Amino acid sequence: MTEAKDMTFTLETAHAKVSEMIGAIPTALTEYRCPLCGKIFGCYADLKQHYAVEHVGAIPPVTVVLTLNGKSCEVLIEPHWTLKRTLQFRLGLTGAKHMCDKGVCGSCTVIMDGRAVLSCQMLAIECEGKEIQTVEGIAADPKWKPLVDAYCRWDAMQCGYCTPGFLVSAKNLLDKNPNPTVDEINEALSGNICICGTYPRHAQAIREAVEKMSEGAVTNG
Amino acid sequence: MADIVGVNGQRENFRVVGKPNLPGKLSYALATGIAKFGIDYVLPNMLHAKFLRSPYANALIKKMDITKALALPGVVDIVTWEDEDIKRLGQNPFGPPSRPYLDNWAEQEGAEVGCIVVAEDEDICEEALRLLDIEWEVLGHVVDTLKGREPGAPTAHMVEAAPDPFSKPPEKPKQGNVSYAVTTQGDIEKGFAEADHIIEYQLKLPAFASHMPNPPSSVAWWEDNPYHGEGPDLHIEGAVQRRENVGRMYGVSNEKTVQEGLFQGGKYCDWGMRKSQEITPLLARRTGRPVRCAYTREETFDFLMNERFMYLKVGFTKDGLVTAIDDFSIADNGVYGSSSFGTAGDQGYGPYYTFKCPNIRQQMDIVDTNRGKMYVSGQHCPFNWDSGTMAIYLISEKLGMDPIDVALINVHGPASQEDNTITPSLLACIEEGKKFVNWNWHKAGERKLEDGRMHGASFRYQMCPRHAFSGYDCKLELKNGVVHMPTQGPCTGIFAVECNAMVVAEELGLEYADVAIDFDYRETFTPVGGGSDGTTASSWAMKECANILKQKILESAVNKANNPAPPSMFMFGQPKENPLKGHTADELDMINGMVCLKADPSVGLPLREATSENIFATFSGRPPTSLWTMGMGKMLDTMNTAYCEVAVDTETGEVEILRFDAVADPGKVMRPTSLESQIDQVLFFSQGCQLLEEYVYDEKTGVRLNNNMIDYKKPTTLDVPVIGKKFLETRAGNAAYGANGISHSLANTHAIIIAIHNAIGVWVDPPATPDKILKALGKA
Repeated sequence: MTEAKDMTFTLETAHAKVSEMIGAIPTALTEYRCPLCGKIFGCYADLKQHYAVEHVGAIPPVTVVLTLNGKSCEVLIEPHWTLKRTLQFRLGLTGAKHMCDKGVCGSCTVIMDGRAVLSCQMLAIECEGKEIQTVEGIAADPKWKPLVDAYCRWDAMQCGYCTPGFLVSAKNLLDKNPNPTVDEINEALSGNICICGTYPRHAQAIREAVEKMSEGAVTNG
Repeated sequence: MADIVGVNGQRENFRVVGKPNLPGKLSYALATGIAKFGIDYVLPNMLHAKFLRSPYANALIKKMDITKALALPGVVDIVTWEDEDIKRLGQNPFGPPSRPYLDNWAEQEGAEVGCIVVAEDEDICEEALRLLDIEWEVLGHVVDTLKGREPGAPTAHMVEAAPDPFSKPPEKPKQGNVSYAVTTQGDIEKGFAEADHIIEYQLKLPAFASHMPNPPSSVAWWEDNPYHGEGPDLHIEGAVQRRENVGRMYGVSNEKTVQEGLFQGGKYCDWGMRKSQEITPLLARRTGRPVRCAYTREETFDFLMNERFMYLKVGFTKDGLVTAIDDFSIADNGVYGSSSFGTAGDQGYGPYYTFKCPNIRQQMDIVDTNRGKMYVSGQHCPFNWDSGTMAIYLISEKLGMDPIDVALINVHGPASQEDNTITPSLLACIEEGKKFVNWNWHKAGERKLEDGRMHGASFRYQMCPRHAFSGYDCKLELKNGVVHMPTQGPCTGIFAVECNAMVVAEELGLEYADVAIDFDYRETFTPVGGGSDGTTASSWAMKECANILKQKILESAVNKANNPAPPSMFMFGQPKENPLKGHTADELDMINGMVCLKADPSVGLPLREATSENIFATFSGRPPTSLWTMGMGKMLDTMNTAYCEVAVDTETGEVEILRFDAVADPGKVMRPTSLESQIDQVLFFSQGCQLLEEYVYDEKTGVRLNNNMIDYKKPTTLDVPVIGKKFLETRAGNAAYGANGISHSLANTHAIIIAIHNAIGVWVDPPATPDKILKALGKA
């Protein structure tokens, strides 16, 4: 039932894996499960009818179409669900991590319409129509291979739980400032908390990635 | 040079070990979000579980009616403390045996108590918990350790814990909330009689949290698997390195307890299992569906270190030699079931064990409270409590001597407490350290910076203790020409597995990337043992295993060269001459991925061609006993030093760490990037507990007020200083190539606090927040 076995990825195989994960996310709902009793329906209208009859007074779930990593994904959620919860429990993406659940630690960071946002503080229904990029989407984009590689070469992680949040913040910084100083990096990452204390590693990794990416740009250009 | 028992322990040339920037084997999974931790698992048809948590700091449930909660749509099961399934549930193997797994007593605000609700989702669980009809008996509580010690204080623990196996019997019977521990060596009175000066001082060791990054969580389910005999397999994700213990709780064999996930997150030596990691198998068995139980951040603010108050009296001569130490502590014992590590269980290795002083008494009043729980933790072990460092500093202030000179007068030598020489590693660290930080000592309050702030500095030293209490069962396999290192998951992020793979590559003449690590929960090898201590000690055992494999490979290569397979009908042309033919295994070596002649390494064959056999090697053992463990801190090999400089603004009370540097001798640098990270981590932890972090309670209700990451402040990128690091390699440790563990030993409780005193001349208890500094200066 679990997919975790061989996790000893290389840069290339990790890239292929996240691409596969994103590709496997269904674009449209094929069944509608009642969150209260688990009954499954073939269409949303039947689920609403079920609520009207069997869960009188309860608020039925809603369907939302998220634009995630360049792909439209329809999900059935309850209206109070956060984007973080939706990513994990409806789309199977766990790169945005649950840590503080208060908008403090940055572990659940995603990029929405070009801004780094905390997915634990965003209602999923607010995200419809916005371009959302998660760490998986960044890792699946060949442009950001040098950033992922530098993070791994510099051990910009210990336990690794907060690392995806940092990597998303780093990418968001580089989108806006392709050649940041160490001080600018520290400022940009100050909303991400790493209890393992890897802070100095991030600046080293990002600076190396900047150099590699600029070399690549010259070569490709 | 140490590591003289192991093969190649004195190796001089390294190709792989010591090389930076070799990616961790799991790093790409972590960085890209592929990695799943216990809290991340979502299974089809999965249920969710939540414990009832107490709103009171000390209370009993007298009656509980679950009728309304059970009737709530989406609730599948409610298990109470009176349920036979709970009564039968095995005990946590690391916990005391005298209390049921779940009962009706809540020993702190937020404690799991009374029942567990299982429902279709977490929201329904919470709604059901609100619908419980509960009659509470609220008891008096203790959240102030000092008040809890007073006669007549409320009884904090209504159940007595079983005697702790790590502690010696108490000196006198428990009174009220207080139990007692005393350790004495030498003659205290005689020591004080020999002293020219006596100083008395007190310090508070701060309580602080690790709040592990990934809140402890598990998901479990049961599944038939005929390969492992009758009965279903228990699958559990999130049981970290306690899979086998959880299996035992449910009477399931190791073979039938499955945990495939590899990521357990940060532990910081907190190895206590939370109920969320143990209860899910029971709930899955009752419901027939996968069950997930996840803790919230608010539910995970346990102590990494308990609070304690230390009162010191130290006698010393006019030369600065300490003759007597009388240490009295009042320690928070935490809630029922807290670890005795850090209180009585740790008095065996205290903060004075590098001192020559033979006359030491340590008395501890250990106070039961309802403040919180400390699990099996050890990041800030007692040898890192800075009561001794503070003595050295105060002596230097009293005598007008450089604290480094005071330290050198008082530290004993490598052989014993009576050894008057100084451990070469410490001398080397100090010599380099003074240059590295441009050490220029001054007395308290004597240096003002150009911007008007006061400058302060501190120095501390410590031994590098390598535990190596654990033995290691290593296995290496050559399969189809590739060397595999089977390893048990899950892993903490200390890159210990990678260090082992580097040693294997070093010994077999391969590159790091050539060694395949096969993670499998059924394997026996795991590089446990405490951070870098486990890293270096396990690598020693793996080095032995690699050399056994190497010998077998060379013998196989010789056999193939001298006994070639007969020509096959599918072979075209003349068979190639094997360049190893006619040689013995002793004449061969493994270099750059080749099996070759020692006399002429250019003559040889790639490993894959040199032998076509699959070859296995095993080794069980551990490095020779370290000096530290033999002498319980009174024999020293590798050492480290730390230097802190601060600037204190006496108008605002703000403290800036100007530098916080480590000049350390890990014996041999094995994996530089992770070594540096371990030191960053432990110094940032130390910074946090001295400047930022504090538990705040409402004394009236006993409620902890800051169980969240907004109000409980951990350092960020904008708070931490650059940690300057310089490493020496004396090769004096007993683990692989003379390495030692190091990370724990740089943990400190007062390096910054002492520097603040050196700046402003008054003591401020940690956390030294601006308001406390202004108050100490009489400005608030």
